Parts: sequence; structure tokens; C-alpha cells
Amino acid sequence: MKKIFLFFILIFFFFSACKKEEGCMDPTATNYNSEATLDSGDCNYVPVNVIIHFNHYVNGTELVANEMIYTNPSNENYSIQTLRYLISDITLHTNNETETLLDEVHFIDISIDSTLILNIPHINYKNYTSISFTMGLDSIKNNTNLFLNENFFPSFVWPEFLGGGYHYMQLEGDFNTVFNGYATHTGATNGVDFSFNKTLPIADITNININMEITNWYKNPETLNLTSDGIMGNIDKQVILQANGIEDVFSVN
Amino acid sequence: MMKIGSYIYLLVILILIYSCKKEEGCMDPSALNYNNDAQIDNGSCNYEINNIEGCMDSLALNYNPEATIENESCIYFSITPYIIETPYGFPNMNIPSDNPMTVEGVFLGEKLFKDPILSANNTLACIDCHQQNFSFSEPNQFSTGINNIQGTRNASALINIGWNTSFNWDGSSLTLEKQAFEPVTNPIEMHNSWSNVEIVLNLDSDYPGLFKAAFNINYIDSSHIVKAIAQYERTLISANSKLDRYLNNEEQLTVSELNGYAIFNTEKGDCFHCHASQLFMDNLFHNNGLDLEPFLDLGRAKVTSNALDNGKFKTPTLRNIEMTAPYMHDGRFATLEEVVEHYDSGGKYSTTVDPLMKKLGIGLQLSNQEKKDLVAYLKTLTDNEFITQ
Repeated sequence: MKKIFLFFILIFFFFSACKKEEGCMDPTATNYNSEATLDSGDCNYVPVNVIIHFNHYVNGTELVANEMIYTNPSNENYSIQTLRYLISDITLHTNNETETLLDEVHFIDISIDSTLILNIPHINYKNYTSISFTMGLDSIKNNTNLFLNENFFPSFVWPEFLGGGYHYMQLEGDFNTVFNGYATHTGATNGVDFSFNKTLPIADITNININMEITNWYKNPETLNLTSDGIMGNIDKQVILQANGIEDVFSVN
Repeated sequence: MMKIGSYIYLLVILILIYSCKKEEGCMDPSALNYNNDAQIDNGSCNYEINNIEGCMDSLALNYNPEATIENESCIYFSITPYIIETPYGFPNMNIPSDNPMTVEGVFLGEKLFKDPILSANNTLACIDCHQQNFSFSEPNQFSTGINNIQGTRNASALINIGWNTSFNWDGSSLTLEKQAFEPVTNPIEMHNSWSNVEIVLNLDSDYPGLFKAAFNINYIDSSHIVKAIAQYERTLISANSKLDRYLNNEEQLTVSELNGYAIFNTEKGDCFHCHASQLFMDNLFHNNGLDLEPFLDLGRAKVTSNALDNGKFKTPTLRNIEMTAPYMHDGRFATLEEVVEHYDSGGKYSTTVDPLMKKLGIGLQLSNQEKKDLVAYLKTLTDNEFITQ
């Protein structure tokens, strides 16, 4: 009898040692349980508005459109009349690999003020430390039929004849004289995916600035001249623009 | 004596009274209750009941207040949705929520579109300046109104306009409904007043019933007139050109057409940026280098008052372009060859000229054969079904 009693006590201790405290284990949650050893998956967060501003600079100063006031790395005078581009898969990340997709695709047009700010309400406040986004559309997304009802259709359509899908960017203006136009258009030339992903650190998710330094499309690592000939079918120039774009066109603060 | 005398006196009075009292009753021999003796007709005649069959429900469209027998013929307001089939590569059509497409509305809109009743002197209908044979445009450079006054812009082709986000060459109207308000009262077009249109249509033998069926309204007003016209205009869809059939592997293009296709869809011709997608337009405004400044017609800037919009006009679709001569907002070019020549020569400088006119005064420098190829390609956008349906 005594033996049986001891056996039960042993079993009891065994079970109680196994039983872990369940609770929210994320310190940024409002119901964080510091004693929890098992994540119950029911963390509550304070909802916040994530606001992203898209800013555009030329040689470090804010873009002034429609004026022949800029000089590029090839010493050509130029103006910027049109700047439109697509940013996709805008995602916030925490250190422990939690991610939150903010927007699948966002169209920016400097002549439409409402596109220069992206406001995403009701995002759970977490300890986000970086933001990632894709310049353009990756090969899965870059399908004309996926975005027929978006505000960048039809003006951003990239002809099927040149590979189909959408432009990533339309940067246009005059150079040298007002009689010469340039069109720095990037996209999936002949179906080759030239989109690229950037991941940059952030401090405050309620006020994120994604900055484009326009000049840097034309330099570092490789200097690129402006031209009146189209570059949408020019793989070599698309490779350069992608490399320059990855390098230092975008910054976040 | 005295007693007898008063008896006679009373009798006389009685007779007098009796003879004054006339028999009242129905005096019409055709009535069921005809009273042969009646001397006064008291309006009580009952006739054989003429059973009137009809709809006795006051909520029905064909309610007959005189009906005495319900014959179950009541027709209630029931509209039939008109289904727009979105062609391949087109976005969803933007249809205002307060004007859903119905078979009844489209039928009525087509009748209005083709009826000169909207013009002040009953001589000019919408279709007179938007003729089906010309892809709902007209072959004249400018349209002539009822008072023989001409406008200053070429009548737009009404083709796939359900996908336009603004209307008129300068985009002054944001919906087809609003646009339809304009020509009726424009002094150089139909020169009518909406109050007059409403009076005439409400007195018409057909229209009140058609409006009742389409919108369930008893009084025709201008807002429903333009709604019906807009519904009809949204049905003017073209997506069965030779090019569509080629892209669907149903028909082959000629060598020349294929060459033109390549010029159009690369930056060699660079047509596709503005004439984009299967819609062959971008819903935007451009200055394509037609004129030096100052501009005779400010175009988009008339609407926005923004100098950056001076000389900009809405990109028209190129579908059925073969049928919609003359070309440009002012119909200055009579042929497609002249249009190609304009782009080939590069256009003229002005402060707002589009950067995509990349070599002003120099242009595309196409060979004669390439120009022919481009025109041949443009003609593959012709949809004969559209002008016969």
C-alpha cells in the first residue's frame, strides 16, 4: 500500500514539472506574461497607423519638376517632367523574423499628391526594426492581367511584344536642349526580371520616409548617359539601371 | 254648410298637392331599373355592368382604375440587368452605382440617342454627329449644330467609352451622364433647354411608358434622360478586330501588318505609351507637338487652369481608327498617313510638349515602307462587327 502511494506521488511530481505556464511571450504586447514559458498565441497589441512618405531628391535636394536645372554624372543638363514607379511587397520586419505585409503594390506619381503618402491603419504595434520592398514587380506579380483595375493601368502597361507586364518606372524629361526628350523606363525587358528587393532599418513605423535619389540611377557602379533612343528593349542598360538602383538609389529614415 | 265647404277645400288642396308630386325614378329605357311611371329622373339608373378586365393593383405599372375584373395581367416594375462582358485584357467597366445597366435602360437610351426630339427644332439627334458607320464619330472636321454653327473640335468616336475616366477632348466631364447634359443645351449643337425636352418627352406617346419601365418614374426628368443615354453608350464595345483575332490565334497578320505591330510596340514608333493596353489609350492628356505657342485651343488647361496642361488633349483609343477620320482634337489630319507623317517629322516645340516626343523636329525617321507598315497595323484595329451590330 505504501509503495502504491509513493508511486502516485512520483507521478504527480512528474506531471507538475511538465506543466508550463502558458501566456503571451512577446514583450511588446499589452498582455505580455513574463512568467510564461509556453506561447499561447493570444498576444494583444496596440493598433497603430503606419505612414510611409515617398520623397524624391536630385543631388540631395528636393525634386523640382519641369525645370532644366539639373546636371547628371555625365555632365548633361536635364529636367524631370515625369516620375512614376511601382513599389511592391512593402513589408515590416521584427528581429525575430515576424513580418507584416503592408501593401502588395503601390503606385507613385509625383504629379498626384495622394500617391506620395501611404497610410495603413490598424497595424499591430510590434518591435519592427526594418522595412523591405521591391522596386517594380517580381516575375510572379508582373502579369498584366493581375492589375487591370489598379490606378496604374493602362498607362504603365509594358507591351507583350517587349515581354509584357508593367513598367517598374517611367522617368522622363528633356536633356541638353528642350528639343531632346529622354525616357528612362525600367521593366522586365524581354521577360527578364529586373526588379530588386531592398531591406532597410527603420526607427518609427508611424513615420517612415522612403527616399529616392534620382541622380543615383545614372551612377555607381556604372555611369549612364541620357538618350533619346528608347531603352525598353535594351538589356544592357536595364542591367546597369538595376545595379545602380540596388546600390544607393533608395534610403529610409 | 261650413263643414262641407272646408272638406271640399281640403280635397282640392290634396288633389293639387298630389298632382304636384311627380314620380321619381330612372327614366332611361335602356337601364335595368327603368321606371315607366317616373316623371323625374333621380339618377339611379343601373345599366348592365360592362365588365372591364384589367389590372386592379394600384402598385402595378399597368394599373387600370376602371377595371372591375382582375385578369391577373399586372406588370410590376422589374428591370432586367444588362450584362457587360468584359473583353480580354480590359479592366472592369466603371459603372456609377446610381445608374446600373438594364436592358430597359439601354433600349430607351438607344431610342433617345437616335431621336432628334432632343434638339430644339427636332432635326438633330446624337447619332447625327456620332454615326455608327464611322465608329460613332463623323467624317466632317467639325460638327454642325441646328443653327448651322460649327464647333471647334472633332466629334469623338464613341467606342469603348465605358472605360474612359473622363470625357471630351479636355476631360471636362467625369461621367458619361454629365457629358450627355452638354450637347442638348449647347447653342452650337442641339440648342434646346432641358425644361423643353422634359415637356416634350412627357407629352410623347412612347417615352413615359419606356421611362416607367426603365426607371419606375412617372415624370420624365433630365437626370433620367442622361442616365438612359449613358447606359446605351456603355454598350458600344469593340473588341473583335483583326488584331484581337490574331492575338487569339484565330487569324494571321500580313508581313506588313506584323512590321507595323513591331514599330508600334517598341520605342521605334513609341505609339504604345499613350495608346496603351488593349484599350489603346491611357486615359491621360498629352501635348503631342502639333502647334507652337500660343495655342488656339488650350485643351486640358481650360479645365484645370494649370499652365502645365496647356495644349494637352485626351488620348483617343485607336480602335476603329480607320473609320474615324479626320484626326486630332481639331480634325486637322484627313488621313492616317498624315498622322504618321506628323510623328515621323517629330512635332513642334512648346513648353508643355510631352517628353515622349523625344526628337522634336527630327522625329522617328521611318522609311516609306515602315510608314506603310504602321498604317497597315493601325487598320488591323478595325472591327466591322461594331458598325453593323
